[in-house]
Amino acid sequence: MNAAARVPRTLVAGLALLAAIALAVIVIPMVSPYDPVAEDVSSMLRPPSAAHPFGTDQLGRDLLTRVAAAGRVDLALMVGVEAAPFVIGTLAGLVAGYRGGWADRAITLLSDALIAFPFYLLVAVVAFVTGTGVKGIFLTFLIMGWIIFARTVKGATASLAGEEWVESARVMGFSDASILLRQMLPNVLSQAVTVLASDMVALLVAIVTLGYLGLGIAPPTPDWGTMIADGQSFLATRWWVSTLPGCAVVLVGVALALIGDGLNDGRRA
Amino acid sequence: MTTPRRAALATWLGGVIVHALLVVALVAVGVFLIVRLVPGDPAQMVLGLKARPEQIADMHHRLGLDQPLWRQFASFLGTLVTTGDTGESIAYHVSSRALVMQRMPVSLWLIGCSAALVVAISLPLAMTAALHKGGWIDQLVRVVPTVTLGMPEFWVGLVLILVFAVTLKVFPVGGTQPGIDGMLYSMALPSLVIALAQTPFIVRSLRTRILDVLGADFVTTLRAAGLPERAIRRHVLRNSLLPALQLYGMKVSFLMGGTLVVEQVFGLKGVGTLLFSAITARDFPLIQAVAMYCALGVVAVSVAVEIAGGLIDHRVRGRAAASRGGAR
Amino acid sequence: MRKQFKAIRAAVAAVAAAAAALSLAACSQSGGRTTDGTVSGARTTFTYARAASVTSMNLWTEITSNNAFAIDKVFEPLVSFDTHGRIIDWLAKSHTISKDGLTYTFTLRDGLKFSDGTDVTAADAVFSIERHQAEKDAALPLTADIASVTAPDEHTVEIRLNSAYTPLLAELANFSNGIVPKDFGGKSESAFFEHPVGTGPFVVSKWDKSGDLTFTKNEHYWQKGKPGISKLVYKTVEDGTQAVNQLKTGEVDGIESPALENLDELENGADTKVETTGSWVTHTFFLNTADEHLSDVHVRRALAYALDRGDVTKAVSFGHAVTAKTVLPKGIEYSTQDSIKPVDDDLAKAKKELAQSKYPDGFEAKILLASGNNAYAQAAQLLQSAAKKIGVTLDIDSVDIATFRSRFKAYDYQIMINSAQADYPDADSIISFQADPDGFSKSYWTSYSNPEVTKELREAQVTPDGDARADLYAKIQQTLADDVPYIPLYSPQIVKAVRKDVTGLEVLPNDSVRFQDVKLG
Repeated sequence: MNAAARVPRTLVAGLALLAAIALAVIVIPMVSPYDPVAEDVSSMLRPPSAAHPFGTDQLGRDLLTRVAAAGRVDLALMVGVEAAPFVIGTLAGLVAGYRGGWADRAITLLSDALIAFPFYLLVAVVAFVTGTGVKGIFLTFLIMGWIIFARTVKGATASLAGEEWVESARVMGFSDASILLRQMLPNVLSQAVTVLASDMVALLVAIVTLGYLGLGIAPPTPDWGTMIADGQSFLATRWWVSTLPGCAVVLVGVALALIGDGLNDGRRA
Repeated sequence: MTTPRRAALATWLGGVIVHALLVVALVAVGVFLIVRLVPGDPAQMVLGLKARPEQIADMHHRLGLDQPLWRQFASFLGTLVTTGDTGESIAYHVSSRALVMQRMPVSLWLIGCSAALVVAISLPLAMTAALHKGGWIDQLVRVVPTVTLGMPEFWVGLVLILVFAVTLKVFPVGGTQPGIDGMLYSMALPSLVIALAQTPFIVRSLRTRILDVLGADFVTTLRAAGLPERAIRRHVLRNSLLPALQLYGMKVSFLMGGTLVVEQVFGLKGVGTLLFSAITARDFPLIQAVAMYCALGVVAVSVAVEIAGGLIDHRVRGRAAASRGGAR
Repeated sequence: MRKQFKAIRAAVAAVAAAAAALSLAACSQSGGRTTDGTVSGARTTFTYARAASVTSMNLWTEITSNNAFAIDKVFEPLVSFDTHGRIIDWLAKSHTISKDGLTYTFTLRDGLKFSDGTDVTAADAVFSIERHQAEKDAALPLTADIASVTAPDEHTVEIRLNSAYTPLLAELANFSNGIVPKDFGGKSESAFFEHPVGTGPFVVSKWDKSGDLTFTKNEHYWQKGKPGISKLVYKTVEDGTQAVNQLKTGEVDGIESPALENLDELENGADTKVETTGSWVTHTFFLNTADEHLSDVHVRRALAYALDRGDVTKAVSFGHAVTAKTVLPKGIEYSTQDSIKPVDDDLAKAKKELAQSKYPDGFEAKILLASGNNAYAQAAQLLQSAAKKIGVTLDIDSVDIATFRSRFKAYDYQIMINSAQADYPDADSIISFQADPDGFSKSYWTSYSNPEVTKELREAQVTPDGDARADLYAKIQQTLADDVPYIPLYSPQIVKAVRKDVTGLEVLPNDSVRFQDVKLG
């Protein structure tokens, strides 16, 4: 199959866009003359200009520098927060899909109960215990994030488990762990990664939404969510305060969606 | 229908319902424990900043919060079993269940209207994209909706309000208006916000699915077997819709109690905002009521999806009955 | 190949048609209805957007503003205050205070009626005050040492004290001393407060405790010809931005608490304006003087000197607040806002103070912040930067509002930002709450204790109004400014945003409003 070797265009475009964003958030704070957390109230809420291409926020901080600095925080957070649920969910899905029986039933019940548990109640409760900020976000998505991977991988594994080669592997004396990790995992991983790409966007948007609900990342750490949320009351009068950080989130969303799309195509091609 | 088939169906249905009840019970107990273990005190929230310690203690006593946890749980269960309610709301001084029932219609309207919009937007887009696979229309359909993926709902809502309500004045800024027409009118913008957030997922999965079915062996086999075209078409439709339906069922589950942000932005008095204000005020009975009724809604949707799935594709029914728990 | 998909296409077409019908319904709606809600001719219903619903009308046990500012539309006290916070006669047409400060005599206005048409007599006033005193869950209890409340005749109410207490008159101006019919007019107390009857300009007509409350005009109101509107709707709109947009399009006529950051937009809006008055509120950093670091007065002074409160005011108030120099806002009599020497904005002195403290090389501490309050978050960041300049590292500990309250009331904080507010127009309302270590609030949970201040504040409670009382409060304010148990930041104006055609709205310094003179269009 030659088609499988061809890298989908959407994947290339997505990766390029993501690389460009990453480069921007790394470089801009290094070359910017402004400190992302140093206030200068005398120049608060200036519209975009040559001196401040993105304008300034309520405390007179340069928004371009802040958007970039926030990008470092949010992109790192996105990757860091998704890692554990990805691993846990994939493993749980593998076991449930391969073993079936009680393991599957327990995981299904747990994930169904978690999904039936109102999401915002969980978010709030975690924030009450940890205080608002990174810790709470990490914990919330550890609790909820694995489900989507577990479900995806379980389905894929279950359909593979019925195939003949699995049975022959078992007959040949391969251990379950070895079959799972060496044989099944590589086959289902691409599906999990596809889900990962789109789930990362959802996570980023969720972090932004938490900022709006007052449960986001605590000041003064720059973060797109808090910036958009703080600026929302100025939307009609000072559009740049929330729109420009919002554009950053949209760009990352598009990049990840393209990557997910490309991965999906590559897998199916 | 033969007797064994009927028995299998009963077993399957029974399993689904037992599972659903277990889920609701888990949620109820989980919510009960969690809300009481987090910091914060309903008395402090209701009585205000200047409440004296005696007032606080008095209120704790009246609410039974000075009792040990197991006793509180026993009285909670007692109330639930005898009245079907979780008790009087601490903040609003009225029955929690009545409050949930009063707020539920708005949220259901919102979910219903957004579902209609999602279908209305996704089906044609996915069909067009699938039929023009690889063409520029396909690329457009796949890339353009992803823009809304990165847009938080509250922000989209605010922009829609500014454009369509404040500037153009074609839709209301928020709230609801009486009557079915008034409801549709009030729900237009808020349900569009939800639909915009969900459409990209649905379009993509539906498109992929339609493409899969197009290329599936069984379509060729069926045709080779001489099955009439109409029957084949039915198969294709069925096979593309089922997974999309299941995926959408999951999304709708999330919307139960998850319409908070849209309700907040559009000033809609639904269960989402009710839940959030209950959480803020640590209104235990009310949190409990909203969480339980939302969980009921979620399992109702998932049972409905499962049954609908079973009806669309009887193979699911047969297979599930044969190995209950193995493939759910 | 494609013709196989006719069925799918038919389904698509059906759904699309349904969607079109839906949007058509929406469009026809927009054609038929005006979104600004106006009907030609003068409107007589005033719709007021408020962030929280009215949950109880019990004037004795309630204090939170969502209830208080509904209660004060129905129940009225003997005396009240005007837009500047000056005490004025209200249901009483006049009052006298005996020379020794022990006897207060009030003469009721003639022709006073409750909203059900029955006459108001002195017996009703006696019942109300005595019932208030007996309420063990009173939110705003009368603190004077009252010996008796009597009705020498139908129009006279007499309150006798065991010992003089100057703030009594101001305390009586609270909505919690409103007059209810004797014995609740024969109803049970709980039934009465579901359908309250008072002397106020409005009567509760429709009430959803988690939603809106509709008042209708009290036909028996003692101010003849008032109120000018026939209906007043308290509409619960939780989201501030939503409320602003509803005001812009005319879906509401006023907003109770517009966010400061929206004010310039509303002030200069085509259809909107704002009404303001001075407030009794000061947003303040409270310093826990029981904390290891903050128990050192030099540390507290260093922080106060490091911070430029003017910057805080500028960043959060959009021109609608004054920088606070003292604990008493300017709207409260005896405030020394214009004459005090504040500990403020002097980096050199800040460094000097810290050098004199036990922690000359700085230290680490946390600011406890209630999440979701934009202005407080901005102020906390400014304090953080200011402290950094003198080598003090402050982290922001952001928690939700309920956790915040539980924590600071358990003295579990180092620095926090909160609002300090007078309940009634007397300096004692703030000073007792914020500087009396023996009160239940332990100097607003700062544990601040200064025997001299305690002695002076007790003395001020019994000193009749005049220069002597002014001197006492001046001394107290200077000591509090120098000891820095808190850093007062800014006193925001009380601001109400309304439609341009609204006239006669009387804005009160306790954040309430009077609607009796309101006219629309």
